[in-house]
Amino acid sequence: MPFNLLLERQEELNTTASGSTLNGHNHSLHDWEMPPRKRVRASTEESTEEEVDTNTSLKHRKYHEPLSEKNSHTKGTSTTKLDQEVTGPFMAKHVPTQYNPQGNPALTETRQPSDPNTKFCYRHRPDMLCRRQADEPTMDKLQKNLERLSESDRQAVVQVWSLFSAAPSKHRNLMLQGILTQCCFPQLSFLSANVQKLIKIDFLSALPPEISFRILSSLDTISLCKAAQVSRRWRQLADDDVVWHRMCEQHIDRKCTKCGWGLPLLDRKRLRASKRQMQLRAAGRGQNVWSPAGTPVAEVEQNPLARDVSAINVTSVAASAISAAGRQPSLEPPFPDWEKMKRPWKHVYRDRWRVGKNWKHGVCSTKVLKGHENGVMAVQMLDNILATGSYDKTIKIWDLDTGKEIRTLTGHTGGIRCLQFDDSKLISGSMDGTMKLWDWRTGVCCATYSGHTDFVIGLHFDSNILVSGSADSTAKVWNFQDKSIFTLRGHEDWVNSVRIDSESRTVFTASDDFTVKLWDLDTKQCIHTYRGHGAHVQQVVLLPREFDMEDDLALFGDQISDTGSQAGDSASFSGHDQSPVMTHRVLHNEDQRAGAYRYTFTNGRPEPPRYMVTSALDNTIRLWEVSTGREIRKFFGHVEGVWGLAADSLRIVSGANDRMVKIWDPRTGKCERTFTGHTGPVTCIGLSDSRMCSAGEDNEVRVYCFSEKDCF
Amino acid sequence: MAETKAEQPRLTLASSDGEDIPVDKDVAERSVLIKNMVSDLGEEAMTEAIPIPNVNAAVLKKVIEWCTHHRADPPAPTDDDSDSRKKTTDIEEWDQKFMQVDQEMLFEIILAANYLDIKQLLDVGCKTVANMIKGKSPEEIRKTFNIQNDFTPEEEDQIRRENEWAEDR
Repeated sequence: MPFNLLLERQEELNTTASGSTLNGHNHSLHDWEMPPRKRVRASTEESTEEEVDTNTSLKHRKYHEPLSEKNSHTKGTSTTKLDQEVTGPFMAKHVPTQYNPQGNPALTETRQPSDPNTKFCYRHRPDMLCRRQADEPTMDKLQKNLERLSESDRQAVVQVWSLFSAAPSKHRNLMLQGILTQCCFPQLSFLSANVQKLIKIDFLSALPPEISFRILSSLDTISLCKAAQVSRRWRQLADDDVVWHRMCEQHIDRKCTKCGWGLPLLDRKRLRASKRQMQLRAAGRGQNVWSPAGTPVAEVEQNPLARDVSAINVTSVAASAISAAGRQPSLEPPFPDWEKMKRPWKHVYRDRWRVGKNWKHGVCSTKVLKGHENGVMAVQMLDNILATGSYDKTIKIWDLDTGKEIRTLTGHTGGIRCLQFDDSKLISGSMDGTMKLWDWRTGVCCATYSGHTDFVIGLHFDSNILVSGSADSTAKVWNFQDKSIFTLRGHEDWVNSVRIDSESRTVFTASDDFTVKLWDLDTKQCIHTYRGHGAHVQQVVLLPREFDMEDDLALFGDQISDTGSQAGDSASFSGHDQSPVMTHRVLHNEDQRAGAYRYTFTNGRPEPPRYMVTSALDNTIRLWEVSTGREIRKFFGHVEGVWGLAADSLRIVSGANDRMVKIWDPRTGKCERTFTGHTGPVTCIGLSDSRMCSAGEDNEVRVYCFSEKDCF
Repeated sequence: MAETKAEQPRLTLASSDGEDIPVDKDVAERSVLIKNMVSDLGEEAMTEAIPIPNVNAAVLKKVIEWCTHHRADPPAPTDDDSDSRKKTTDIEEWDQKFMQVDQEMLFEIILAANYLDIKQLLDVGCKTVANMIKGKSPEEIRKTFNIQNDFTPEEEDQIRRENEWAEDR
């Protein structure tokens, strides 16, 4: 089109535009633009219909007509007929304010967000989804360049813009295609350089929230916290419980396979309660709303995460005396306050992260508890309570929050070698050959069990079953429900440590005869003997079932086959004709895993936990794969025998005759930290999510606290 | 593979902008939506074009390209929980290349994958966006997606302090 013609048209345009802008706005809003957001999220049927409408040219004509009519009224004779019929109405559709050369750039900026009538494309509500911020420097430049042109050229350029701006997306594409075919390479290059910069979409705000959460859920902690600082909308999404609940699931009490970062488990009571909350949320009931109607009490027994100390259903007369005994609410409130439950998951995660960081960097406060008059041989922590047993024949109960002794349980006539307690009761094993059942909250001894012919050195109870290990080389299984007792015979020396797994109805025993044995509680037979330690095995600890190190194994494949070959020699499965390396490969296959045992767990009976950790006087700690009997890792570092051992899914803690306490990473086998301070051999170790404790023959208990909150 | 697939029945998909795109049935059925539609429609599905009203031709072709490459993949695990543990932002190489598109196309692919119910493609799309966010400062994120900082300086400062705990390990 010749420029002089355009010049004339410009006049007309101005009139038309001002006369019909309002009209044009309304039309295009209703007919060209899709209703806000709907298009993006709508179900098929709905949007199908609308879509068809949009693309119908009939519709276009409908509102072209009245406008062209109007146009002819406002402008007289100076323009050609073609202009009037085609360009005029077309232009009249809409003259966008933002490219108006007379306009103030600042004005455009403020207008744009509130004006949904900028035709970016058919599917977005522009101000919401496809909004492109006016780029001030670019607009300034544009303005200056434009002002450099002669009046007529300026009008010509504006005319082109206006035409394009007025066109519906279909026409725009046509125009662009035409322009593109005319472009030479430098111009195309100019385009490609600019286009990439221009296509920027605020994904999180523009996508439906469920997809945005999906995106956020694959971010790491640090990136999520950065994302929360981007804008109001991003903060809303990135701080949402949906995202952080998932983060908690991935990281707390396990090492995230994604980032290798694990957070310590929650306090038992908090874990218990939050589990319930997780289930509620998973079921889609109530976001962030804790229902007090839920029955967390009933949850306790079923909770697979509740560790080895779930409440016993003691049926003996003595035990019923315990349950009758009143509790002291000051020691442990029955359940955490409801307020705590409503905390945002991000805060829960943050607190765990801080504790995890402290563990990682060894940041802790240490408290030395003094009171015992002889070597301390047994410790256990549960929430804020610590129980210790000593050669001085007493058991002491401590408040970990204050570091103060609560009471002393006396009655044994020999030194205490082992103990375990839960919410109400405590069972101790002594060198007097007996075990005693206590109500530790009152200090009352409720029962004494004798049967072993020598020291009781190890004990472990779960549910209704108590297992004890003795210097008489046997382990005894005490069933509180049917009151039966039977003896496991097979070890040739002291049984130092026992561990029951109720789920699979099996028992693990560690002995001075250098072996660890796995027993079937149903048949009372030994299923397998684990050989490998070169000296008295002092401890056996089972890793939680959810502990999984398959990925790590794949990573450290070479080292494993190396240690595996040693272990293979000593593995004593009958008919075990596969090389250990092969066996390990096979284990990755779920179907064949059971085969590795040569022992069938039928009728849906679960297998024992997959991994166990042992410590011995050969100065080593070893990690075993239970089902194959393979030694997966050896932990070297202690220079004398390892007496004490504790482990969870994040770490192994050991205490040794060399007076050192060491923290190990079960996955890499590395010693992460060494603690000194004891002036005698360290005999036992206690571990919880934010604390660990060690005790030794120096009569002292050292408590290390990794959470600022729980510090003394 | 081409020989063995010779018998493969074909469907026609009609994009939102009215283009008919022929595609192998097994490829199209990577989309749970289409799969269900085909099983509902039966024979009819083979003769008439299936309208995909939410996806334009350019995007639909891109999606079909992905489905063709992944036609032999095992079906996605239905259990959402199972993959929550193994999740990573690793994207296989072919998918990474496939996702090297402009943000608009990426945006459309994600919407299309969501609409057509192609879980793995949606996953790849989401991870691609996640990777664009990862490791960036708030300001860098704003630049990447052209987002306006709508916090007041005071708010910004407060939110920064709120999130400080995650700064270093």
